[in-house]
Amino acid sequence: MKKRSLNSLELLDYQPNRYPFLMIDYVTSVIPGKEANGYKNFTNNEWFFPIHFPGHPNVPGALQLEALAQMLTVAITTLPGNKGKATHALSHTVRFRREILPGEKLSIETKVISWKRGICKGIGKGFVSEELACEAEMTITIPEILDQYIPKKK
Amino acid sequence: MNNIDKYSKAFIKTFSIDKTKLKNLKYQSIPQWDSVGHMSMISALEDNFKITLEMDDIIDFSSFEKGKKILKKYKVKI
Repeated sequence: MKKRSLNSLELLDYQPNRYPFLMIDYVTSVIPGKEANGYKNFTNNEWFFPIHFPGHPNVPGALQLEALAQMLTVAITTLPGNKGKATHALSHTVRFRREILPGEKLSIETKVISWKRGICKGIGKGFVSEELACEAEMTITIPEILDQYIPKKK
Repeated sequence: MNNIDKYSKAFIKTFSIDKTKLKNLKYQSIPQWDSVGHMSMISALEDNFKITLEMDDIIDFSSFEKGKKILKKYKVKI
Protein backbone atom coordinates (compact mmCIF):
# COMPACT_ATOMS: atom_id res chain seq x y z
CA MET A 1 0.00 0.00 0.00
CA LYS A 2 1.03 3.58 -0.59
CA LYS A 3 3.32 5.38 1.87
CA ARG A 4 1.92 8.49 3.49
CA SER A 5 2.49 10.80 6.46
CA LEU A 6 0.12 11.99 9.17
CA ASN A 7 0.49 15.34 10.90
CA SER A 8 -0.46 15.92 14.52
CA LEU A 9 -4.12 16.42 13.67
CA GLU A 10 -4.46 13.72 11.04
CA LEU A 11 -2.99 11.05 13.29
CA LEU A 12 -5.85 11.55 15.75
CA ASP A 13 -8.09 9.72 13.27
CA TYR A 14 -5.93 6.61 13.60
CA GLN A 15 -4.82 6.78 17.21
CA PRO A 16 -7.51 6.98 19.91
CA ASN A 17 -5.26 8.19 22.75
CA ARG A 18 -5.46 11.85 23.71
CA TYR A 19 -3.54 14.29 25.91
CA PRO A 20 -2.02 13.58 28.35
CA PHE A 21 -1.61 10.03 27.10
CA LEU A 22 -0.98 10.61 23.40
CA MET A 23 2.68 9.65 23.07
CA ILE A 24 3.31 10.36 19.39
CA ASP A 25 3.49 13.81 17.80
CA TYR A 26 3.89 13.09 14.11
CA VAL A 27 3.86 10.10 11.77
CA THR A 28 6.50 10.89 9.16
CA SER A 29 5.76 7.77 7.12
CA VAL A 30 3.32 4.92 7.32
CA ILE A 31 2.82 1.99 4.98
CA PRO A 32 -0.45 0.42 6.16
CA GLY A 33 0.04 -3.13 7.37
CA LYS A 34 3.83 -2.85 7.10
CA GLU A 35 5.42 -0.05 9.14
CA ALA A 36 4.95 3.29 10.83
CA ASN A 37 7.63 5.80 11.74
CA GLY A 38 7.60 9.17 13.42
CA TYR A 39 8.54 10.99 16.57
CA LYS A 40 7.62 12.38 19.96
CA ASN A 41 9.19 15.55 21.33
CA PHE A 42 9.56 15.54 25.09
CA THR A 43 9.60 19.16 26.15
CA ASN A 44 10.03 20.54 29.64
CA ASN A 45 6.27 21.01 29.72
CA GLU A 46 5.47 17.29 29.86
CA TRP A 47 3.12 16.54 32.77
CA PHE A 48 5.28 13.76 34.20
CA PHE A 49 8.65 15.51 34.45
CA PRO A 50 7.90 17.32 37.74
CA ILE A 51 7.03 13.99 39.37
CA HIS A 52 9.34 11.57 37.53
CA PHE A 53 11.53 12.54 39.24
CA PRO A 54 11.94 15.80 41.21
CA GLY A 55 15.48 16.94 40.52
CA HIS A 56 16.11 14.25 37.91
CA PRO A 57 13.38 14.41 35.27
CA ASN A 58 13.32 11.63 32.65
CA VAL A 59 10.70 9.88 30.54
CA PRO A 60 9.07 6.93 32.36
CA GLY A 61 9.81 3.61 30.71
CA ALA A 62 6.12 2.77 30.58
CA LEU A 63 5.52 5.84 28.44
CA GLN A 64 8.43 5.03 26.13
CA LEU A 65 6.84 1.64 25.55
CA GLU A 66 3.48 3.32 25.05
CA ALA A 67 5.01 5.54 22.37
CA LEU A 68 6.30 2.49 20.49
CA ALA A 69 2.95 0.72 20.82
CA GLN A 70 0.96 3.77 19.68
CA MET A 71 3.11 4.06 16.58
CA LEU A 72 2.71 0.36 15.77
CA THR A 73 -1.04 0.80 16.18
CA VAL A 74 -1.03 3.39 13.39
CA ALA A 75 0.46 0.82 11.01
CA ILE A 76 -2.67 -1.28 11.57
CA THR A 77 -5.42 1.30 11.98
CA THR A 78 -4.48 2.85 8.62
CA LEU A 79 -5.45 -0.40 6.89
CA PRO A 80 -8.78 -0.21 5.04
CA GLY A 81 -11.70 -0.69 7.44
CA ASN A 82 -9.67 -0.23 10.62
CA LYS A 83 -9.85 3.56 10.98
CA GLY A 84 -11.18 4.56 14.39
CA LYS A 85 -11.19 1.04 15.79
CA ALA A 86 -10.05 0.56 19.40
CA THR A 87 -6.86 -1.40 20.01
CA HIS A 88 -5.60 -3.25 23.09
CA ALA A 89 -2.18 -4.44 24.14
CA LEU A 90 -1.77 -8.20 24.54
CA SER A 91 1.88 -8.61 25.43
CA HIS A 92 5.01 -6.50 25.24
CA THR A 93 8.64 -7.28 25.90
CA VAL A 94 10.71 -4.15 26.23
CA ARG A 95 14.34 -3.22 26.77
CA PHE A 96 15.43 0.27 27.82
CA ARG A 97 18.87 1.42 26.73
CA ARG A 98 19.22 5.01 27.92
CA GLU A 99 17.38 7.74 29.75
CA ILE A 100 15.35 10.23 27.76
CA LEU A 101 15.63 13.72 29.19
CA PRO A 102 13.59 16.91 28.85
CA GLY A 103 14.15 18.55 25.48
CA GLU A 104 15.03 15.34 23.68
CA LYS A 105 13.26 13.93 20.64
CA LEU A 106 12.35 10.26 20.45
CA SER A 107 12.41 9.00 16.87
CA ILE A 108 10.26 5.90 16.54
CA GLU A 109 10.45 3.09 14.00
CA THR A 110 7.96 0.23 14.06
CA LYS A 111 7.44 -2.75 11.79
CA VAL A 112 4.59 -5.21 11.52
CA ILE A 113 5.80 -8.80 11.67
CA SER A 114 2.34 -10.29 11.20
CA TRP A 115 -1.25 -9.10 11.03
CA LYS A 116 -3.88 -11.77 11.03
CA ARG A 117 -7.46 -12.00 12.32
CA GLY A 118 -7.20 -9.00 14.59
CA ILE A 119 -3.80 -9.73 16.09
CA CYS A 120 -0.69 -7.76 15.21
CA LYS A 121 2.82 -8.80 16.16
CA GLY A 122 5.46 -6.18 15.64
CA ILE A 123 8.70 -4.61 16.76
CA GLY A 124 9.57 -1.06 17.63
CA LYS A 125 12.71 0.94 18.26
CA GLY A 126 13.13 4.39 19.74
CA PHE A 127 16.18 6.53 19.06
CA VAL A 128 17.47 9.74 20.61
CA SER A 129 20.03 11.49 18.39
CA GLU A 130 20.43 8.20 16.49
CA GLU A 131 21.26 6.38 19.72
CA LEU A 132 19.00 3.43 20.56
CA ALA A 133 16.97 4.35 23.63
CA CYS A 134 14.37 1.59 23.81
CA GLU A 135 13.14 -1.38 21.82
CA ALA A 136 10.22 -3.73 22.15
CA GLU A 137 8.47 -6.77 20.74
CA MET A 138 4.76 -6.08 20.87
CA THR A 139 1.49 -7.87 20.32
CA ILE A 140 -1.61 -5.74 19.97
CA THR A 141 -5.16 -6.53 18.97
CA ILE A 142 -8.25 -4.97 17.55
CA PRO A 143 -10.82 -6.78 19.73
CA GLU A 144 -13.68 -6.02 17.36
CA ILE A 145 -11.96 -8.13 14.68
CA LEU A 146 -10.53 -10.81 16.98
CA ASP A 147 -13.95 -11.47 18.52
CA GLN A 148 -15.34 -12.46 15.13
CA TYR A 149 -13.11 -15.54 15.08
CA ILE A 150 -13.45 -17.02 18.54
CA PRO A 151 -15.72 -20.01 19.34
CA LYS A 152 -19.11 -18.92 20.60
CA LYS A 153 -20.39 -20.08 23.96
CA LYS A 154 -23.36 -22.44 23.63
CA MET B 1 6.10 -36.82 11.59
CA ASN B 2 2.58 -38.17 10.95
CA ASN B 3 -0.58 -36.07 10.98
CA ILE B 4 -1.68 -36.81 14.54
CA ASP B 5 1.76 -35.82 15.79
CA LYS B 6 1.67 -32.62 13.76
CA TYR B 7 -1.83 -31.91 14.99
CA SER B 8 -0.99 -32.60 18.63
CA LYS B 9 2.20 -30.58 18.44
CA ALA B 10 0.26 -27.43 17.56
CA PHE B 11 -1.66 -27.72 20.86
CA ILE B 12 1.23 -28.88 23.01
CA LYS B 13 3.53 -26.13 21.80
CA THR B 14 0.99 -23.30 21.72
CA PHE B 15 -0.51 -24.03 25.12
CA SER B 16 2.58 -25.53 26.82
CA ILE B 17 0.65 -28.58 27.97
CA ASP B 18 1.30 -32.28 28.33
CA LYS B 19 0.11 -34.77 25.72
CA THR B 20 -2.13 -36.46 28.31
CA LYS B 21 -4.32 -33.32 28.49
CA LEU B 22 -5.23 -33.30 24.81
CA LYS B 23 -8.15 -35.75 24.70
CA ASN B 24 -10.62 -33.58 26.65
CA LEU B 25 -9.18 -30.22 25.71
CA LYS B 26 -11.80 -27.59 24.91
CA TYR B 27 -11.83 -23.85 24.23
CA GLN B 28 -11.43 -22.01 27.55
CA SER B 29 -10.98 -25.30 29.47
CA ILE B 30 -7.47 -24.08 30.31
CA PRO B 31 -6.31 -20.46 30.76
CA GLN B 32 -3.95 -20.71 27.79
CA TRP B 33 -6.77 -21.49 25.34
CA ASP B 34 -8.31 -18.06 25.36
CA SER B 35 -9.13 -15.89 22.33
CA VAL B 36 -5.49 -15.06 21.67
CA GLY B 37 -4.37 -18.64 22.29
CA HIS B 38 -7.06 -19.76 19.86
CA MET B 39 -5.58 -17.66 17.06
CA SER B 40 -2.05 -18.83 17.86
CA MET B 41 -3.13 -22.48 17.77
CA ILE B 42 -5.02 -22.00 14.49
CA SER B 43 -1.96 -20.31 12.96
CA ALA B 44 0.24 -23.20 14.15
CA LEU B 45 -2.09 -25.71 12.50
CA GLU B 46 -2.15 -23.69 9.29
CA ASP B 47 1.64 -23.63 9.26
CA ASN B 48 1.99 -27.33 10.11
CA PHE B 49 -0.43 -28.46 7.40
CA LYS B 50 0.03 -25.58 4.94
CA ILE B 51 -3.69 -24.80 4.84
CA THR B 52 -5.85 -21.72 5.46
CA LEU B 53 -8.92 -22.23 7.58
CA GLU B 54 -12.15 -20.46 6.72
CA MET B 55 -13.72 -18.12 9.26
CA ASP B 56 -16.66 -20.43 10.08
CA ASP B 57 -14.29 -23.33 10.74
CA ILE B 58 -12.15 -21.20 13.07
CA ILE B 59 -15.27 -20.33 15.05
CA ASP B 60 -16.44 -23.98 15.14
CA PHE B 61 -13.01 -25.20 16.25
CA SER B 62 -14.06 -25.54 19.88
CA SER B 63 -12.17 -28.63 21.03
CA PHE B 64 -9.24 -30.90 20.26
CA GLU B 65 -11.61 -33.60 18.97
CA LYS B 66 -13.81 -31.20 16.97
CA GLY B 67 -10.74 -29.88 15.22
CA LYS B 68 -9.95 -33.32 13.82
CA LYS B 69 -13.32 -33.37 12.04
CA ILE B 70 -12.86 -29.83 10.74
CA LEU B 71 -9.46 -30.61 9.24
CA LYS B 72 -11.00 -33.42 7.19
CA LYS B 73 -12.57 -30.66 5.07
CA TYR B 74 -9.04 -29.59 4.20
CA LYS B 75 -8.03 -33.13 3.22
CA VAL B 76 -6.06 -33.60 6.42
CA LYS B 77 -6.84 -37.00 7.87
CA ILE B 78 -6.02 -37.46 11.55
